Amino acid sequence: MNEAGLHAKLGAAGIDGIGELDTSAKDPFVVVEADALVAVMTFLRDDPDCAMEMLHLVTATEREACIELAYHLCSYQHHHSFVVKVICPRPEGGNHDTWHPEVPSVAGVFDAADWHEREQWDLLGVVFAGHPDPRRILLPEEWIGHPLRKDFVYPSFLGDVPLELDATPMYERGPDWTPPSSEPRPAGEPLIQPPSPPSDRPHAGGQAPAKDEAPADAADTGKEG
Amino acid sequence: MEALEMFTSDRNADVYTEELKLNLGPQHPSTHGVLRVELAMDGEIITDSWCDIGYLHRCAEKIGENVTYLQFTPYTDRMDYLASMNNNLAWSLTVEKLLDVEAPERAQWIRALVAELNRIASHLIAFGTYGIDLGANTPFFYAFRERESIMQLLEKISGARMLYNFIRPGGVANDIDDAWMDEVSAFCDDFEKRWVEYNTLLTDNFVFIQRTANIGILTKELALSNGCTGPVLRASGVKWDLRRDVPYLEPYDECEFDIPVGEGTHGTLGDCWDRYWVRMREMIESVRIIRQCIEKIPPGAHMEKSMVKMYKTPLKPPPGEAYVRCENPRGELGFYVVSEGGNSPIRCRTRAPSFCNLSVLDKLLPGTMLGDAVATIGSLDIVLGEVDR
Amino acid sequence: MEALIGLFGELFGLEGTLALSAAYAVCIGSILGFVTVYSMFAIWMERKVAAHIQVRMGPMVTGGWHGWAQSVADAVKLLFKEDIIPTRANAFMFWIAPAVVFCGVFAGLIVVPFAVGVQVVDLHLGVFFIIAIASIEVIGVIIAGWASNSKYSLFGAVREAAQVVSYEIPTATALLVPILVVGSFRLNDFNTWQAEHHWLIFHSPWLAMAALIFFISSLAGCKRAPFDLPEAESELVSGFHTEYSGMRFSFFFLEEYTSMFVAALLTATLWFGGFNLPFVDSSAWHPALAMPIGIVVLLAKTFFFIFVQMWLRWTLPRLRVDQVMSMGYKYLVPWAFVALIATAVWDYYGWGWLPL
Repeated sequence: MNEAGLHAKLGAAGIDGIGELDTSAKDPFVVVEADALVAVMTFLRDDPDCAMEMLHLVTATEREACIELAYHLCSYQHHHSFVVKVICPRPEGGNHDTWHPEVPSVAGVFDAADWHEREQWDLLGVVFAGHPDPRRILLPEEWIGHPLRKDFVYPSFLGDVPLELDATPMYERGPDWTPPSSEPRPAGEPLIQPPSPPSDRPHAGGQAPAKDEAPADAADTGKEG
Repeated sequence: MEALEMFTSDRNADVYTEELKLNLGPQHPSTHGVLRVELAMDGEIITDSWCDIGYLHRCAEKIGENVTYLQFTPYTDRMDYLASMNNNLAWSLTVEKLLDVEAPERAQWIRALVAELNRIASHLIAFGTYGIDLGANTPFFYAFRERESIMQLLEKISGARMLYNFIRPGGVANDIDDAWMDEVSAFCDDFEKRWVEYNTLLTDNFVFIQRTANIGILTKELALSNGCTGPVLRASGVKWDLRRDVPYLEPYDECEFDIPVGEGTHGTLGDCWDRYWVRMREMIESVRIIRQCIEKIPPGAHMEKSMVKMYKTPLKPPPGEAYVRCENPRGELGFYVVSEGGNSPIRCRTRAPSFCNLSVLDKLLPGTMLGDAVATIGSLDIVLGEVDR
Repeated sequence: MEALIGLFGELFGLEGTLALSAAYAVCIGSILGFVTVYSMFAIWMERKVAAHIQVRMGPMVTGGWHGWAQSVADAVKLLFKEDIIPTRANAFMFWIAPAVVFCGVFAGLIVVPFAVGVQVVDLHLGVFFIIAIASIEVIGVIIAGWASNSKYSLFGAVREAAQVVSYEIPTATALLVPILVVGSFRLNDFNTWQAEHHWLIFHSPWLAMAALIFFISSLAGCKRAPFDLPEAESELVSGFHTEYSGMRFSFFFLEEYTSMFVAALLTATLWFGGFNLPFVDSSAWHPALAMPIGIVVLLAKTFFFIFVQMWLRWTLPRLRVDQVMSMGYKYLVPWAFVALIATAVWDYYGWGWLPL
């Protein structure tokens, strides 16, 4: 079945919030509403004609106007693949610090989504509501910020440890060497900057990202080690 | 008194043992790099496990957003550093898809040839290090002997031993000549004999079978749901190989080769032995493909003409996005690249096969023993450079 | 020993306790020297055997001929290395563990007859003594594993305790089989018995089986692959000696190679004729001739078995911990008892097996 057939099948499933198939793209995709995502994924997995056994990739992409989530699915039985997208429009003045788009987690549908969604939270700050284990995956728990956002600022502290961004090599630092002074980043400067003062962002320091994601889970299951 | 309570406390276990947290890694001989697995142990038995990755995170995706398309090719080398050719291939195909160009015919055959050579080299490492994981040190040296020949062959055409940057958008860096192909066929003849030697040394060894059969059983459902690909998925009985099912290069369409799948020869379908044996047989299939490539390789250009012009300025693909999957030695490597018409992509997402294969580890370990944990990690054959990127 | 005491009396006029002490000092010194030189040689040999199995050359540079001085260079390096005691370790226990480990194995050597008259003490219970004193090693390993304050070390120590204690049963039972035939615990009696009759390995199929069981279980006792679980490099980093460095680390090495030597030597003495040559009656030879030939013959046999131990180590994968245990308890122990009982029956009826 090709993408058009899959889209028709999906449209006939009676799920609200399924958009048109974009056939101009190289991999045709369909945009669905965030609320419909879990239902769409479950349908695509369970319907015998679709039979998408595998979730290949979850990708969040930050654009000017939105953060766009792409879910790449494929079926081994039928040798076809499909792309489902969710668009989270950027609110007025939404930036790295204030805006964390929220989409429902599909970790309950595909186990593979577990780590992929953790990675997207880690690097882009997308909140996956209902994720069973919403921790960072690649960066340290104490890390502040989401580095793949375009307006990410390099943090000045990792937990209690000040991060040095001085390019002076170790062997050239004399006994009197001190870390460069910390000054806030002026607007419009390039990305890599001298350290800025410690952030007072709500979920800095490895706390759970959102209140409805059961923050107690991560701390209580002893996974902090 | 405490000791007394320990023994008289109401517990189901016959003997009360205190739970022990064991950090397997990040500095450990058998985690294949800097993987850390936190194990909750009840004596020798693992009761729970948590994978911790990210120790080798080198911000590849961030770098991808800050360099041009061509400049990112060497970075793909460093993801799965044991199969650089295959990574180059996937990246080049992605960029070509964005640009709507196709590599010339000869370049496609060269790509398949070097990618299969690199697949053998990568599986040889998997074979050798798996022996070490299980305490047999000797196969490692045998594997490295043959890998050395492959590295020398690839060095002759690319100038580098491990990180080749050879396959580029539009074709390959250099053409290959007949003398080199003769050397490759000599290697193939040699390798088939050596392969039999490996099996007598490790595959059919009674202790080896005892250690790997019925260990770390990955069911088909679990493998599919977790996004496992490559030999890990095939060992669970799914006959799926992108080279056959979605041929992304012309030779894969034209060459004859089998797809080994797990059969549960010595135990249950999807156990460590199956994963190992699928890799071993894939090496022989790769030799078959290489032989056919040498035979059928057409003359022609090794680089797309229009691309050579484009190379003089940074590539600027039109706005759009492309997702390309390739069958790497470790599974399906995918690049999802979003362009907005600039010099560099605005998103350069990597679907790393090791990342997805590793995510199943936490589900395989509980209930097994410490030695089995090592066997299971080894049989998943992860490269941490790719897991953490 | 008596000869030495007499020698001291003649040369220096020493008598009584003084002569005894001097003789012991000389004996212990020479055994210590032997153990050191032997270990260096064995480590070099292990490297060469491993290398040739693994299509390599091994050490080729140090000292000239085939890198013969590599072990000497390593020993010097280990001597000069900093002796690191982890901060959180129990320093005294950490310090004493290698000594305890080494003493146990080292003491076993004093009852070994290398040739006619070349023996420190001719104990009546020689075999028993070796088995008993070698068990002390386990205590040292447990101390080392516990005192290191590392979980890998602790795992290694616990594995060692479980494994060595379990494998002492088949080891000792298999040793009882030749003892039953010869009717003595004294090691010298095995040499004389085998010189008079035939090598015990050919005595009956049960003796051959006992030799095999002893060799396998002695591999486990020496922590050699495929039973090297206490060290299990790929699982436990280095097991109980993970935290050790420098000279203390090398004591564990000395211990491993010395226990390999003792195991190989017991196999050679109890089953393969000891210092007797095959098909040659050396009992009438002059001691000045019999002694060096006996030493050479015994060492040749011993090194053959050491070679087999190395050969196995570099060929086989490692067993899992429960497989090691089940192999010991389910196969080796019952078959060792079968061999013991069958030998008793066999010898009671005086059956022959081979025309020897």
